[in-house]
Parts: sequence; C-alpha cells; structure tokens
Amino acid sequence: MDVSISILSQVAFWGLYSGCIYILLATGLNLIFGVMKIVNFAHGEFLMLGTYITFFLFVITGFNPYVLLIGSIPILIGIGVIVERLCFRPILGTGKLNEIFISLGLIYIFQNLVAMVWTDEWRSIKSPFADMTIDLGPLQLPLDYLIIIVVTIVILVSLYIFLQKTPIGKAIRATSQNRKGAMLMGIDVEKINMLTFGIGAGLAGAAGTLWAVSGQVFNPYMGSIPAIKGFAIIILGGLGSIPGAIVGGLAIGMVENFTAFTLGGSWKDAVSFILLIVVLVLRPTGLFGEEEE
Amino acid sequence: MKRTNVISVFLAACLILLVLGTGCTQQQAPSAQSGEVKIGVVASMTGAASTTGKDIWQSAELAADEINAMGGVRIDSLGKSVPIRLIQGDDESTREGGMKAVSKLITQDNVDLLVGGYSSAVVSAHQSIVAENKVPYIISGGSSSSVSHRNDLDTSYMFFHRPNTDDSGEASILFIDEVVRPAVNAKFGFPAERPLKVAVIYQDSPFGKGQLDAVKNVIKAKSLPIEVVAEEPFKMGESDFRTVLTSVKAKNPDMIYSVTFLNELVPLTQQARRDVNFNTLIMAIENNDDPDYYKGVGTYGDGMVMESRFSPYAVPKGSTEVATRQFLSNFDKKYGGFAGMMGAATYESIYIAKEAIEKAGSLEKAKVRDSLANLAMPQMMEIMKGGTIQFSPDFRESKFDLYVVQLSMDQASGEPRPEIVWPKNLEARGFVLPDWYTPGTS
Repeated sequence: MDVSISILSQVAFWGLYSGCIYILLATGLNLIFGVMKIVNFAHGEFLMLGTYITFFLFVITGFNPYVLLIGSIPILIGIGVIVERLCFRPILGTGKLNEIFISLGLIYIFQNLVAMVWTDEWRSIKSPFADMTIDLGPLQLPLDYLIIIVVTIVILVSLYIFLQKTPIGKAIRATSQNRKGAMLMGIDVEKINMLTFGIGAGLAGAAGTLWAVSGQVFNPYMGSIPAIKGFAIIILGGLGSIPGAIVGGLAIGMVENFTAFTLGGSWKDAVSFILLIVVLVLRPTGLFGEEEE
Repeated sequence: MKRTNVISVFLAACLILLVLGTGCTQQQAPSAQSGEVKIGVVASMTGAASTTGKDIWQSAELAADEINAMGGVRIDSLGKSVPIRLIQGDDESTREGGMKAVSKLITQDNVDLLVGGYSSAVVSAHQSIVAENKVPYIISGGSSSSVSHRNDLDTSYMFFHRPNTDDSGEASILFIDEVVRPAVNAKFGFPAERPLKVAVIYQDSPFGKGQLDAVKNVIKAKSLPIEVVAEEPFKMGESDFRTVLTSVKAKNPDMIYSVTFLNELVPLTQQARRDVNFNTLIMAIENNDDPDYYKGVGTYGDGMVMESRFSPYAVPKGSTEVATRQFLSNFDKKYGGFAGMMGAATYESIYIAKEAIEKAGSLEKAKVRDSLANLAMPQMMEIMKGGTIQFSPDFRESKFDLYVVQLSMDQASGEPRPEIVWPKNLEARGFVLPDWYTPGTS
C-alpha cells in the first residue's frame, strides 16, 4: 500500500471528527464531575437522547439538522436539570455505590423509554450537505465534517466565555474549586449543581445531534460505548479538567483512527485503553489533572 | 420524609423489583400436561441486532398463528392436535444474553423445541446449554461453519436451516468470477485474464472470519483469478467505517466484499460513496436482504450486489413464488411491511418443527430429534437443493440454491430495489456495472 501524505491527512481528518464528538461528550462529563464529584454512567444516554431528539425534530420540522442544535441542546439541558433534581441530588454525598446504581438504573430507563417511543430500529438522518465535498488539492473533505468541527469549536469557545466571563460561569468555577468556600461566599451550590448537570447533558445532546448529522446510525442502545470512551478520556485528560477533556478527546480520536488504519478496525477500542493505561502508569492524575492536597 | 427522598426510595424499589422480577419466573408445566407445543424462539429483541430480532419473532408468530388456525400440531401420542405457544428468548445480541435466554427457555419454560438464533458468536455461546439438556434446536442463523461443524460438544440435537459460510462464500465468489470480473475487464479494456482485486471488510466474529476463510478457500481450491488485496476486520456493532474504507481504498481493489450485519452495512455503504468518495462495487451477504436495509441505505445502495436466498422485493420465478408472495402478503397484513431473509428462515423453521413433531407423533425430545434427522419435506419459500428441506447426515445442515441480486434505485419508493442477476436460471436481468464505478488500478 502506498501511504501518501493525502491518505494520512484523510485519516487524521476522520480522527479530528471523532475527536469532536468525544470532546463534547467528555467536556460535559468533566464539568459535572468537577462541580458535583459524581460518576454518571448514564452520560452516553444523553448523547443517545440527543440523536433521537434531533431525529424527531428533523422529521416534524424538516429543518436543517444543524439548526436543530437550537432545540436539542436546551431540551437536553432541561432533561439534565430534572435528572439532577430527582435522581442525583437526594443521594449526593451518600457514597459512590448509590451514584453508580442510580446511573445504571437511568441507562435502562432511558433506553427503554426511547425504544417505547421510537422503537429500537436503527435510524439515521441525511444532512442536506451530505453529497458536498470541499476540494483541498489531494484531500477531498466532506462539507458536513468541516461544519461539525467548526460547530464544536464554536460550542467550546462559547462554553469558555460563559465560564470565564459570566457571574454564573464564575460561580460554577468557584464551586468546582472549593465547594464549601463557594457556599460561604453565598453561592447556591444546589442550583449550580443543577445548572452544571444540565449544561453537561446539553453538551452530550450537542454531540448526539452532530453524531446524527454525520450520517452515523443510532438506536436506543448506542450510548454505552461512547460513555465508556468519555470516561476513558476524562481519566486520560485529568478528572475535572476541561482542557484535559479536549486534549484527551482529540488524542483518543486520533489514536483510534490511526490504529484502525494500521492494525485494523478490531484494534480500535483496545488501543484507546492501552493509551489510557500507559498515561495512568506514567502520570496517575492524567495529562492535566492536579495532585490532591 | 422529604418528597425527593420518597421519589428516590420509589426509584430504588422499582429497580430492585425489576432485578428480582427477572429471577423469579414461575416454572412452567411440561407441554404434554398443558396441551400445547411450546417453542422457544431465540431472537435478538434488544441490542445491536434488534432489527433482525424483531423480524425473526414476528415471522415465527405468523407461522404459529397460521398453524394454530389450521388446527394446530397433530400429536399421535396425545390422540389430538394441540396449538403452538411461542415463548420469546431475547438474547440481547450478546453471548451472555443468549446463554441466559436459552437457559430460561429450557429450564424454566420447559420448551419442547428451540428455533431461531442469529449471530454466530451468540449461538456458539449457548450451544453447550442446548447440548447438555438435549433439546431439539432448529437454528436459522449462526451461519459460520465453525458453529455447525464443531466437535467439542454434542451437536446432535441442533439442526441448521441456513447455508453455512462455506456455501454462501462459494456462491458469492463464483458470481464474482463468472460475472463481475469479465464485466470489469471488458468495460475498461483490461486483458481477459486480469485477476479481479477484492477487498474483504469483515466483522471480527465467527461469522466474519468464516466468510473470509470461505472466500480464500474457494479461490484457492478452484484456482480462480481473484486476488484478495485487503482483509480488514471491524468490531461487531461498528458504525464508523471511514478510516477502514480509506485504508482499503489505498490498496486499489476492484470491489469490496463486505461481511456485516445490516446495521453495519448501512453506514459502510453510505460512508464509502459519500465520505470516502470510494466509487467501487460493494457485495454484501444474504442476512442483509431486509426491508430495513433498503430503507436505511437510500440512494447509496444503487448498483451494489448481494448474495441472497430470500429477498423481500425480488421473488424468483418458479415453484416457490406463490408461497413467497403469500408469506409476504400475510406478513404485510399482520405487521405492515415486509419480512427479511431471517424472518423467512424462521417462518420455515416453525413449519419444520410442526412437520417433525407430527412425524415423531410425540413431544419426546429424542423422538423429535430423530424425526428432524430423517425429515424430507417440500421446499417452501427458499429454494432448496433437490426441492426438499432435509438435513445433511454429517452436520445436519439444509442445502440451498443461492442467488445474487443487484440493487437499483426505485424512484417511486425513493429506495433501492433488488433484482436477481445470477444464476442464469433465476435471473430477472443481467448484471450491470454502475456508470459511476471506478476499478482499482490495473
């Protein structure tokens, strides 16, 4: 096989695209962990819900699926707020086992609810830009994937501005850094928990919309593997670190795709976890994690 | 107690009841006492293969309803006809799920016979439970030869109503050699003896590996001018094939031979044409001949070919045509839509079960097994070798006359539709290389 620069660039591009989905998923997960210190294994189900809400809105409105982000993100934020209020707040601080069982229960509840409403058939939607490509010399890049990369950057920049410049964003950061200190400064940490959980779910919902727009198939059970990858990414990048989630997501996306290219597709998942083990052995706090005092 | 605490306790109680409920099923009485034939249907009702699982279950239901409407199954030892009762065993598209489902069907539901099974990996995991309990099992999936030819356990109660991977691999390769290779060489002015370069993209499972082995064995055994230039595995349930396709494209094949489930074939086909700009011919395997595939793949399926033995939209002329159209019509009336190949095989399997039990005159499992071993019933919808459904004496496999369909866009439905293009005695039209097709470099 002649491995030219154009082929390697093409593989890197697919890695970048996969990385974008992972980044959105892992950033939400890390935001929630950073503030609430809870482990939500049902986070992949928010991605799955994002795909179905996009599918539903697409069928009833016929709008451009990218526009449907305006619908899917707020709906997922709402679902996240409800889940936090009803399921996680009552057990916060009662032990990790409770969090694990609540999130495992949520996986079954969401999967079965979606299967009841939309059946468990595999679905897909077709983007209006599905047949358009951008010619960059030896590289022919599908327009959809370029839009997905740009949309991910816009979402991440918006999140950065929100966290850095707005009072609520500053309160989220303060709660993440020192929960008791934030309470003493008058921040309503319960509201911040709720909002953070909602934002995390909204980011997973955005990942779901982009997953669907990219033409990938989805069914009610598709959230588990992305969720596991999301956890691997936040451990790799450092628990609670958003830059870590971004770098970790990109790293996993790239490693997966170059592994599929060189060793074959069946090694794709294994190598991601080998990378995780190597990083943890060399740096137990992850790439961007800090030692606890 | 605060309201939120009440909700938490309620949710926890629901979860506990759900978990306990699955383990506390009441043990069923044996069929002879309950006056019915209990057939366990092993189907992937949830998980990655759930689309096919639903097809399997609905087709089994249709067959059972028809048989019950005709009076049921005549059992001489009881001196009467009894109805069939189907019991669903959801294998959850996993090995563990299959083992759990089959254990429950055998030990708690006391089924007289098992029917179904789809993924070779899943079937191979629960074969030992069937062997241990000696329950007759008509397997309509599990196509890998490694499932039916295994000698590490007693498979004498297992009957395989499907072509194995050697059979379907051979049919596919013969089609490629007889039809595709000459068409490519003629259209592009290549020498007639130029070998056709094939890339195999296969599910990393017994099913996928069985097909890969079959393809290579047939090429070698018959010294065919076909060269396998790429062997690319992917994990079961994969939906992102872009990098694998980029890798395959770099090896310049003339066509792709894909060994997939239908939820994998849809993205593979779409991503090849749409994302990787890979204008090559894709050949798929029979388990994808399903209405959900045609619906899912859309315009990107135009021109591709598929080895098949039952097609919802391409009914072969001949003795099986009436039965096939009747089945499709009845299925459509009952469920609104058409069954796929796995549905047809399961439907036939229920009728095979009826025939075997009636010939045995008893629900005794050993007698039903012997009856299945000696079965010779007329073919129904799928075209059988010699026009008869019977199981081979060595590995208890039924033998089919296989064919190949080619898809072309149907403007009315907005979906591709298949037509039989091989072999000559069944073809509706000749194979056509699509206009957009580009061969690998010579």
